[in-house]
Amino acid sequence: MMTIRVEYINPFLRASFGVLEAVLGKMPTKGELGMRPSVFTSQQCNVITGVAGRIQGQVIYGMSLITADRIASVMIGQPIRTFDQLAASAIAELGNMITGNAMALLAEAGYVCDITPPTIVRGSNVKISTLNIPALIIPMTLDQGLLELTVSLQER
Amino acid sequence: MPKRILVTDDAMFMRVTLRNILTKNGFEVAGEASNGREAIDMYRSLKPDAVTMDITMPEMDGISAVREIRKIDPHARIIMCTAMGQKNMVIDAVSAGAKDFIVKPFQAEKVVEAIQKVCG
Repeated sequence: MMTIRVEYINPFLRASFGVLEAVLGKMPTKGELGMRPSVFTSQQCNVITGVAGRIQGQVIYGMSLITADRIASVMIGQPIRTFDQLAASAIAELGNMITGNAMALLAEAGYVCDITPPTIVRGSNVKISTLNIPALIIPMTLDQGLLELTVSLQER
Repeated sequence: MPKRILVTDDAMFMRVTLRNILTKNGFEVAGEASNGREAIDMYRSLKPDAVTMDITMPEMDGISAVREIRKIDPHARIIMCTAMGQKNMVIDAVSAGAKDFIVKPFQAEKVVEAIQKVCG
């Protein structure tokens, strides 16, 4: 039976709300949580952040290319014409900020962890494997589109 | 003479954002480093008045870089600018010699205030 502990999820929920509101100027709406097999076909644009410490795994921020363009435009402060290095960096930093902020909340709960610099994977039909760690999906609806968090963490 | 700041972050977006905030508020960006190793080299060559330092970066993390920079210049004024706000990180950074700690996402005024304070 696949399980993922709620102690790992709440910090990501709280961090997402806080960071998304601060960066995009509006609180997101949370959709229904779901489970995901350890290998899955992901969104068109994915920010992968690694977590290492008392708990380990990945947290992936998936979105469509249009949503990525829209979010990057808000972050940069002007519409982007092409998804260039600066736009990619903005999207990556959004993931980094949410995971980073969640780490502070996890540490308060006794799970001290570090994070790895984010990686961006773009393309259609990308298959991502989280090995045997079960993944929980948190959909967040933003003005810019859907942002899907895939939280795949387990205690070491 | 405007104070000269060295910006350190692996994310181009953050470097651009910090550059905009700093130049709009009367500071000069002495240089932009994308990891701890580069920050040390640039600190040596540019001798900035203050440094903003991310923590999670490839090659060398920000806390190790703070330690090394403080060996070169025990009076170096370094402000951490990071997404990781947990207590152990703040304690590590301050004991390495950082003067202030700002958690991302930050407001421009926070950064300006912190830099003005350390440049006093």
